[in-house]
Amino acid sequence: MDEFLNKLEELKGNKTNPFKVPDGYFDSLPSRIQERISSNQKEHSIFSRFLLIVKPQLALAFAFVVFAFITVTTIEYVLDKQPKIPVSTGIYTRIIEVDASEYSEQHFIDVLLDEEKKPNEKKKSTEHYINYLIDEDIDYTTLIDEL
Amino acid sequence: MFEYSDKELLTLFRDEERKNFAFNLIVRKYQQKLYWHIRKMVIKHDDADDILQNTFIKVWKGLDGFREDSKLYTWLYRIATNESLTFLKQQKTKYLLPIADYENQLKETLESDIDFNGDEIQLKLQKAILELPEKQRIVFNMKYFDEIKYEDMSKILDTSVGALKASFHHAVKKIEKYFNEN
Repeated sequence: MDEFLNKLEELKGNKTNPFKVPDGYFDSLPSRIQERISSNQKEHSIFSRFLLIVKPQLALAFAFVVFAFITVTTIEYVLDKQPKIPVSTGIYTRIIEVDASEYSEQHFIDVLLDEEKKPNEKKKSTEHYINYLIDEDIDYTTLIDEL
Repeated sequence: MFEYSDKELLTLFRDEERKNFAFNLIVRKYQQKLYWHIRKMVIKHDDADDILQNTFIKVWKGLDGFREDSKLYTWLYRIATNESLTFLKQQKTKYLLPIADYENQLKETLESDIDFNGDEIQLKLQKAILELPEKQRIVFNMKYFDEIKYEDMSKILDTSVGALKASFHHAVKKIEKYFNEN
């Protein structure tokens, strides 16, 4: 291996670098790097300015979101914590019975009132027809003939 | 041309008014060393150019926080090495290539590259180097071409000196084997 290392050293002595670069590459490189840095800084400063303008609005929006989140969470928490009274089957039955009876009573009254109204209307219209026939002196035979 | 020491360059860089000037001097001082270090890893000039620029942009961003616990050049080499390794990893995952296929592609690039002007033995050596695992390749290049001391290499690669010596030894043996077989 030492022999080979010596060979490598000889090789290095002849020609160190087998690669080439385009002409003037190293002369122009520092200015190209400076240009890239400057453009990066410009982009950064535009972004910083944009952030500076938008920052208060963003902060406000963020604060609103946080406030809404806290409010909703608190309400949910409070509702969850409220004691729940256990309702037995007997109580449910009673509620249904009471509701049903109340409904039936009201319904019953409404129906009765409606029914009372209807015969009066009928009676009124019959009286109106009789009066008309008397006023016009139309007897039964004439009425049949006309019909 | 007068060349500033690393310490002087860092002092200059911390002066806000001369920051750009100092950075320009750092780029000029290290661009070639870092370029060749990267180029030997990724082979193609365009890739090496991209990686080198990214390396210096990272240096620009991080230099304010550089605390001189290590030498400037070991820090620069470390960034360049990490950038190169990240690039190679991305290339392999991007095209879903097995490692061997990607190394073969690089060998083909070497043969057809107009920017490679080495003779037949140089080409053979580069192909043999491409056969090495990435870590061994880095160690071999840094020791053989850049002549970096093991102690500095240890700081750059965060590996013990003993492990680096072993890596170099294995690398030379593999290259010798490649030369004997081809």
